[in-house]
Amino acid sequence: MGTDIHETFEQMIDETLAGNVEREKEESLRRHLQDCARCQEYLAASTRVIAGLRGFSFDVDPASQAKVCAVMRQRAQQMEAAPTSGRRMAWISIAALILTVGGSFVDLQFGGLIASAFDIQRAQMQQGVIAFGIVPSLCLLILIPILLKLSAGGTGRQERIR
Amino acid sequence: MFEYDMALVAGLSSNTRQIAVRLRQGNVSLLEELVGQYQYRLTRYLIYLLGTRDGVDDLVQETWLRVLERGSSYDGRSRFEPWLFTIARNLAIDSMRKRRIFSLDSKDDDAERDISAQMPASNAPSPFTLAARTEDAERLAGSLEALQPIYREALVLRFQEDLSLQEISAIVGSPVATVASRIRRGLRTLREGLEGGNHGN
Repeated sequence: MGTDIHETFEQMIDETLAGNVEREKEESLRRHLQDCARCQEYLAASTRVIAGLRGFSFDVDPASQAKVCAVMRQRAQQMEAAPTSGRRMAWISIAALILTVGGSFVDLQFGGLIASAFDIQRAQMQQGVIAFGIVPSLCLLILIPILLKLSAGGTGRQERIR
Repeated sequence: MFEYDMALVAGLSSNTRQIAVRLRQGNVSLLEELVGQYQYRLTRYLIYLLGTRDGVDDLVQETWLRVLERGSSYDGRSRFEPWLFTIARNLAIDSMRKRRIFSLDSKDDDAERDISAQMPASNAPSPFTLAARTEDAERLAGSLEALQPIYREALVLRFQEDLSLQEISAIVGSPVATVASRIRRGLRTLREGLEGGNHGN
C-alpha cells in the first residue's frame, strides 16, 4: 500500500477521535486497521495521547468552593434586597403607555364633556392633555428602551448560547 | 489542598430543565450544588485556556456570580456545561483584555486571535508540569504548554469534558469543521511530542 493511503487513514483516525467522521468511512477504517500494522500503531499512539491528557490532575484549594458559595449568597441577598433597575424601568414603561393611551382615549371620548364642565374651550383642554400627559409619557416610552440598552451594554456582553 | 474526586461529579447534568427553572428563580442552594459539581472542571478548563494558574480562582468566582445574575438566560434545552464554559470563556477574554495582555484594538470577533496571542506570564513551572500524574502526562506537559490555547481548549473540551463537536463549536463560536481541525492538529502536535520524548528516552 502506498504512503498516501496510510496518510488518508491516519487522517481518518484523527477525524474519528475528534468525532467528525461518517459511518461509512469509520467502517472502512475499521477494516483497514485489521490488516495494517502501521495504522494500528498510529491509532495506539493517538489513544495514548488521549489517555495521557487524562493523567493530569489539578490541585484545587478546598476553601475556594466555600468562598465562592459565600460570595454568591451575599450577592443573591443584594439582588433580592434591591429590585433590578430593569424591572423598575419596565413598570415606568407600562405607566407611560397607560398614560399615553388613556390620555388620548379620555380626550377623544370625553373631551367635549370635560371642557364644558370646567367652562374651558375644547382646544385648550386638548393642549393641556398633550402638553402634560401625552408628550411626557411618549418621551418616557422612547427614552426607556435606550436607557435599558445602555445599561445592558455596561454590564458586559450577553452569553452567546442559551 | 486536595485532589478532586471525579467520582463525585455526577447527577445534575441530565436534569437540565430543572436546572433552568431553578436558576430562573435564583435558587442559591442549586447554585451551591452546581459549584460543588463543576468547580474542578471549570478550573481545569480555564487553566487549559489560559495556560496559567494565575487569576483562575478569581475567574471561577466571577463565572459563578455571572451564572447567578444571568441564570434566566439558560433555557435548559442544551446541556449546562457548554453554557457554563461559554460564560467562563467570555470572562477570561474580557479579563485578559483588561490586563492589557491582548491588543487593545481587537474586536469581539477577534477573540480567538487574542487567546492565541497570550504570552506566558512567568518562568514558574507550568500548571501542566505540576498537574502531571503519569509518565505520559509528564511527557505531554511540555508540548501542552507550547501548544496554542485554542488547540488546548479544543482538546480539553473534547477529551476531558467529552463534549460533542457541536457543543464545542457553540462555546468557541467557530464552525464544527474548524473545531475538528483544531482537535486533529492538537492531537498531532501532542503525538509528536510524546513520540519525540520516547525517542529521547
